[in-house]
Amino acid sequence: MNWLTRWFDRRPQLSLAQQERLTIWQELPRVVLNSPVVESRYVVVDVETSGLNLLEDKLISIGAVAVVNGKIALGDSFYVVLQQRAASEKGNILLHGIGTAEQLEGALPAEASLAFLEYLGKSPLIAFHVTFDETMIRRAMGTYLGYSFKHSWLDLAYVMPGLNPPLARRYRALDDWIGHFGIRIDVRHNALADALATAQLFQVAISQAAQKNVTHFAGLRDLEKAQRWVNSVS
Amino acid sequence: MSAIHPSELAFISRHAPFDHMELVHVLWMLERMHLGYYAEGEVIVTPEQGAVDRFLVIKQGMVHGEQNVAHASEADTWLELAEGECFPLGALLAKRPVASTYRAGSDTFCYELAAADFSVLIGLSGPFRDFCTRRIANLLEHSKQVIQAQYSNSSVEQQSLASPLSAIIRRTPVTCSPQTTVRTVLEVMHEQRIGSMVAVDGDGRPLGILTLHDVLERIALPQTDLTQAVINVMSAHLSILPPQALAHEAALLMAKQGFRHVLVVENERLVGLVSEKDLFALQRVGLRQIGSTIRYAETTEVLQQAAADIRKMAHNMMAQGVAPEQLTQFISAFNDLLTARVVELECKASGLLGTALHDGLCWMALGSEGRFEQTLNTDQDNAIIFAVPEGMDEEQVRTQLLPLAKRINDTLALCGFPLCKGGIMASNPKWCLSLEEWKHTFSGWISGGSPEALLHASIFFDFRALYGAPHLAEDLRLWLARVASDSNLFLHLMAENALRNRPPLGLVRDFVVGKENTLDLKVNGITPFVDAARIFSLAAGVTQTNTIQRLRLSAAKMNLHASEIDAWIDALLFIQVLRLRHHDEASTRGLCEDALDNRIDPEKLNELDRRILKEAFRQARKLQARLALEYHL
Repeated sequence: MNWLTRWFDRRPQLSLAQQERLTIWQELPRVVLNSPVVESRYVVVDVETSGLNLLEDKLISIGAVAVVNGKIALGDSFYVVLQQRAASEKGNILLHGIGTAEQLEGALPAEASLAFLEYLGKSPLIAFHVTFDETMIRRAMGTYLGYSFKHSWLDLAYVMPGLNPPLARRYRALDDWIGHFGIRIDVRHNALADALATAQLFQVAISQAAQKNVTHFAGLRDLEKAQRWVNSVS
Repeated sequence: MSAIHPSELAFISRHAPFDHMELVHVLWMLERMHLGYYAEGEVIVTPEQGAVDRFLVIKQGMVHGEQNVAHASEADTWLELAEGECFPLGALLAKRPVASTYRAGSDTFCYELAAADFSVLIGLSGPFRDFCTRRIANLLEHSKQVIQAQYSNSSVEQQSLASPLSAIIRRTPVTCSPQTTVRTVLEVMHEQRIGSMVAVDGDGRPLGILTLHDVLERIALPQTDLTQAVINVMSAHLSILPPQALAHEAALLMAKQGFRHVLVVENERLVGLVSEKDLFALQRVGLRQIGSTIRYAETTEVLQQAAADIRKMAHNMMAQGVAPEQLTQFISAFNDLLTARVVELECKASGLLGTALHDGLCWMALGSEGRFEQTLNTDQDNAIIFAVPEGMDEEQVRTQLLPLAKRINDTLALCGFPLCKGGIMASNPKWCLSLEEWKHTFSGWISGGSPEALLHASIFFDFRALYGAPHLAEDLRLWLARVASDSNLFLHLMAENALRNRPPLGLVRDFVVGKENTLDLKVNGITPFVDAARIFSLAAGVTQTNTIQRLRLSAAKMNLHASEIDAWIDALLFIQVLRLRHHDEASTRGLCEDALDNRIDPEKLNELDRRILKEAFRQARKLQARLALEYHL
C-alpha cells in the first residue's frame, strides 16, 4: 500500500496498534453524566481550521484544557497541530498564526486524533459554539480514524445567555463574554489560549449556576436547551 | 501531550519570585497548578479551614485579607493583594491555618498549587525559597498597620508624628522684607494674630525670624527704636527642614535646640512654618517642653517628673506608629539630655565646675546607651575617662571623682535607670580611669581574650561621650579602631563567643522555648545582631557605636551585600518593636520599672508577628553564618 492509496482511500487504514488504542478508548466506562459539576472532569476544547466551511475546511489544530473539580488543571491540557497536505492560505494563517512549515510538519492526523481521544477519556466536552468544534472534530475522526465520534457536549454560547438574560441580546461572540467578565486573553485564535479563556468562562458559569442552585451537569444542559428554545422562538 | 500555553508562562515569569526562578522549576510548578475562580466577595481561605492546603498566585482580580484586630469593632481590611502576588506564605511555611480571612475583592482567578507540591518546590528552587522566607520587609509593613490599628483607640484624634511637614503646614507663611520697620512688623503680627514673622529676600530665601517671645527680650526691654529695619532685631539662627521631613524630626529639632519654630524650606525658598503649637496638636506631651524642663531642672524631683514624661511620650509615639529606629533615637536623645543634666548638677553641687578636674572629665555611656539603643528599662552602664591635671596623680583624681560618680549613679537610679547589677558604673573604681589606664585595660582584654575580657569588651567597646570632654572618648575610640582591626585572634575569639548564642529556632522552623515557654527578646533576639555588628565594625575600623550604622558602614569592607544588610536591619528593628511594645504594655499595666523584662510567650503573639519574629530569628542565623564564614568557625 503506497502513500497515495492511503491518502485517498475513503476508509483509513489504521495500524494494529492504532486500532487497539481506538478499541481501548471505546471500551472505557461511560462517565455518570449527572454528577455535581465540582466533582467531575470536563474538557474544554477549541479548534483552528483552514476556514469556516463545515464541509470542506480542514482541522488544523486542537487545544484543550481540563476543568477538574471546578478548577482548571494547567498540567492536564492538550495541544496538537495536525499535519496538512498543503498549508492553508495566507489570510487563514494570519488568523491563527500556524505557519506553512508548522502545518506541514504537524503530527500525523490519525496519531493526533488518537492522542486527543486518549487525553479526553470519556469526560464531557465543553465549547463555545459547539456546532463548529463538534463538526470539525467529528469529521476529522471519521476521516482519519474511520470512527463516528459521538460525545456529550455543553455549549456555553447558550449557557451564558441562559444565566445572564439581560446580556443575552447584546452578546453573541466569545469575545463579548470574556470581555464582560474581564477574562484576559493574550493571543486570540490560538486553540489552546481560546480553550483556556473558554474554560475560565465555564468557571464563571459554574459559579453563577451555583447561585441559582444549579450544581449538576444536567442542570447546565437544561439551561442550554431552554436557551436554544428561546433563541428559536424569539 | 500536556501543553502549557506560552502566555501563561509569560504571565507567571513577569512576577516575583518566578522571574528569578529557573525555567524548569517554573514549568514544574505550572504543570501542577490549577486555576480557580472566585466571584467577588467569595471566601478563598479562612482560619476555620485548618492548615492551609494550597499556595495561590493571583492571575487576575484582587484579594483582600481581613483580620479581626483586637479592640476594633469590626473586621478590617488590612491587606490588599493584586495580580501576580502570592499568598498565604506564612501559614503555608508553618503548616498552620491562616490568621486572616482571604476574600475575593473582585472577580478573581488564582493559580493554585497544592501544599505538598509547594513544599517540594521550596526544596527545588533557591530563589523561590528565599522569596518565601525573606519577605520580611513587606510583612513588617502589614504588622505596622496592625499595630497602629491596635493603638488607634488612644490616638485616633491625633495626627501621626510620622506625617511629613508638608501635610502639617496650615497656610502660606506671612513674611516681610528685611528692611520693613519693626513697628510695621509688630502691627502686622498683631492684626493677623500670628506668633512669628520671617524676613525673606527677593527670592523667598529666609533671612531671620522674630517671634512674640522675642518681643520682650529684643524690643521692649532694650527699648529698641521701632523705626529701624526689623532684620536688626531678628534672630538669624534658623532651624530649617525640607517639606519631606517628618513631624517627629521637627519635634526633635525643637527639643534639641530649644526653638519654638521650624522653617520649612524647599529649594532655598520658605514654603511654610511649623510651630510647637502645630506639633502640640499631634502630641499631648510637648517635646520641647520636656527638653527645656530637663535643661533648666535644678532638683532631682523635676528630673524624675521629666523621666516619667519621657516614658509617656514614648508610649504616645508608639501609638502613632513612629518607626523603632526613630523611637529609640528619641528615647536616647532625651535620656542623654537627662543624664547630662544630672551629671552637670552634681558637678555643680560638689564645686567641681570651672576646675581643671571638670575640664578633663568625660562621662561615658556604655552598652545599649552607648549604641543609642535604649529602651524603657535600660540599666545604667557608664564610666568615666579623666585627664590627669598637673600636680596630681591618677589615684588622687579617682579619690575625688568617685564620691561624685556615686551620687550621679544614685540620682540616675531615682530617675528610673536601675543600678547596674554587674557594677559597670562610673562609681566603681575599676571603671573610673585615665585615658592611659583605659588603653592599658583595653589592651589587656584584646591580648588576653579570657571569657571575662570578652564579656567586658562587649559592653565597654560600645562607649561614647555623653558629658564633658568629648576629645578623651574620641582619642580612645580612634586608638581602639586601629588596635582592634589588627587583632585577628581577638576578633576570632569574639566571633566564637557570639556564635554561642544561637537564635532559638527549632528544626521544624518553630521556636525553642525554655521551661516557662518564653523567649528572651534581648538575649535571643537583639544580641546576635549587636554582637555581629560590633565584630564587623571593629574589624573594619568603623568608629560608630550604633548597630545599624555599624552594619551599614562595615558593609563595603566586609563584602556584605546591601540587600543582606537591609534584611538584617529590618529584622533587628522588628524585634526592637516587639520589645518596646512588651515594655510599654507592662508599664501600662502598672508594673514598676524593675519588673520590666524582655521575656515574651511567642504563642501569645498574633500569627503575623509570630511569623515575622521567626523570620527575624532566621535572619539572625544568616548573619551568624556570615560571621562564621568570616572567621572560619
